[in-house]
Amino acid sequence: MGATLRAAWHIAVKDIAIEWRTKTAFASGLVFAVLVLAVLFFSRDPTAVSAQDIAPGALWVTFTFAAMLGLNRAFLIERELKALDGILLTPAPPAAIFWGKFGANLAFVGAIEAISLPLFVLFYDVPIWLRFGELVLVIAMATIAFVAVGTLLSAMAVRTRYAELMLPLLLLPFLVPPLVGGVQLTARLLEGRPLSDLAGWLKLIGAFDVAFVTAAALLFQVVLDE
Amino acid sequence: MTTLATDRVLTATGISRRFAYRTVLADVSLSLARGDVLLLVGPNGAGKTTLIRVLAGLLRPAAGTVERHGTIGMVAHDAMLYPALTARENLRFFARLHEVPDRERVDTLLEQVGLARRADDRVGTFSRGMLQRVAIARALLHGPGLLLFDEPLSGLDAAASRTLVELLMSFRERGTAMIIVSHEMERLGRVATHMARLAAGRLGPLESLAGRDPAAVFATLMQEDQ
Amino acid sequence: MTLRESGARIARLGGVVTAVALLGVAAVYLRALKYTPVEATQGAAQKIFYIHVPAAWAGLMAFVVTGLLSILYLWLKDRRIDLAAAASAEVGVAFSFVILTTGPIWGKPIWGTWWTWDARLTSTLFLFLLFVGYIVLRGVLTDPGMRGRFSAVIGIMGMILVPFIHLTVYMFRTLHPAPIVLKPSRPSLPDDMLTTLMMSVAVFSVLYVGFLMLRYALGLLHEAHEEELADAS
Repeated sequence: MGATLRAAWHIAVKDIAIEWRTKTAFASGLVFAVLVLAVLFFSRDPTAVSAQDIAPGALWVTFTFAAMLGLNRAFLIERELKALDGILLTPAPPAAIFWGKFGANLAFVGAIEAISLPLFVLFYDVPIWLRFGELVLVIAMATIAFVAVGTLLSAMAVRTRYAELMLPLLLLPFLVPPLVGGVQLTARLLEGRPLSDLAGWLKLIGAFDVAFVTAAALLFQVVLDE
Repeated sequence: MTTLATDRVLTATGISRRFAYRTVLADVSLSLARGDVLLLVGPNGAGKTTLIRVLAGLLRPAAGTVERHGTIGMVAHDAMLYPALTARENLRFFARLHEVPDRERVDTLLEQVGLARRADDRVGTFSRGMLQRVAIARALLHGPGLLLFDEPLSGLDAAASRTLVELLMSFRERGTAMIIVSHEMERLGRVATHMARLAAGRLGPLESLAGRDPAAVFATLMQEDQ
Repeated sequence: MTLRESGARIARLGGVVTAVALLGVAAVYLRALKYTPVEATQGAAQKIFYIHVPAAWAGLMAFVVTGLLSILYLWLKDRRIDLAAAASAEVGVAFSFVILTTGPIWGKPIWGTWWTWDARLTSTLFLFLLFVGYIVLRGVLTDPGMRGRFSAVIGIMGMILVPFIHLTVYMFRTLHPAPIVLKPSRPSLPDDMLTTLMMSVAVFSVLYVGFLMLRYALGLLHEAHEEELADAS
């Protein structure tokens, strides 16, 4: 257990160091986020739809799509010179590869979310400061959900010749519960409803997190095998 | 199967493996002892790379067993490194996964392979010869008793090849067992203690090179196929 | 028995089962159209209910079978289990497609729109997309070992996802109820209609099994063919 966590830590740190140095995926994710937020804002009919109405949807579409851009990156860096084989030749438990990648992906997506959020407030003029803590909780829970599934699926997708196509195709159905939940919760938080009103959706996302983090961790070894 | 000396380093029995409906390895068995250097020759597509990967533990055979008495290091066609990181950073990362004290060992190894001056340059800028040397340093991090090489001289110019062969000779002098897959029999013949041929997934007998001309042994092996 | 022999045998058997099921389907339709009373509010269009609901049942069953066989495959590693799981997925796609087309055909005369975000229809849409992803993934992987393992992962993950999708859609619907009160679920039915429905469900289940056997047999024969090709070269 300790060995897994230590190895996972090293792997996550290494991933973040590489992304920090090249910044390619991060930059594209960020540009994409800004574009999506802006396009969704401008493409509505301002007399019919208020910014506040589409804000929750816009936020979550931005988060999930920017996340998808970054998820393949985690395993593509391992493919260039087959570094993953190098990791498998060490005594590091293979499960550590999942946890390390999961952690690095969370950091990556979290960073994009952290930068997108102020932009979101700027464009859509929504009062997130009133419920900031709760909003962060909701974002964290939903992000864990799609990053867990995304980490597993991207490990599979990069082994095919069509990684950029396969990942969205496989991942999108899995995004439905956290995405819908995230939008509903964000909308209600912004309307000023108390958290107890939202217990149903919170429990849904919470259960999703538990189920899929576990499933992804267990099934990861199957994907590593050749 | 020829049984070699007493300190066994590796024993493989009845290895079989298929890929995409074809048999890649058929009932391969071999045994290696401390100090043995086996040169593995054979036509392309004979299964040599697959055999190396099975012996290293990266692939599971469909049948058969591999007993490893001690640790193994591997140098394959791909360097198993991260282009965005420096040589030192790459080695430190793998050292941590091997739970080996990273600083001294890494510095020592960089000296040993002659890359101390380029230690802080990104590996993505390295020539193939330099990549090979970093890869060897990576394989040596945990002081393995057996080293596996898959076409170590491919893509190297004459000078780089000579450097590498000298390095391999130094390993042989230290008593490290090695299996080298290569068709460069002329250069590597004097490093090896044994030679064997893998053709169509089947391994021929291990011929000792003690007191014999490698070229002659090679010719014998080629004929055995007829 | 070789793969080829198994394949041929199951194909023959599957053919018989499918033929019987198709006769059953014809019989049920006859009963549905001629002998079951016409529903008061929805009129004749309501009769599509007798295809729509059983197809939904068969589609869900196909999916669960794929998921369970995926788990079994990872445990036993027998490639025939993988072939059966894939066969079930393809049959499931077909049934899901039926639901997604009959739903709107039913909906148009009753609600005036082709698509409503009705709970069952929406869930089926995502199930359909999941199946499609599974099939596309299989299409891009050439090594049977990798194909089996990766398919099994998606199969299992998909099976876990299904209840979450249903819950999400249900919770969403209760917040945004459909504009029309009547929904294409199973309302309390008079006996006649209930009997026809039950018959249809039974017949569709047999049809599923028949199609499954045929598709599985095809998979076995294809596998045998691939082996023969590889051995020959």
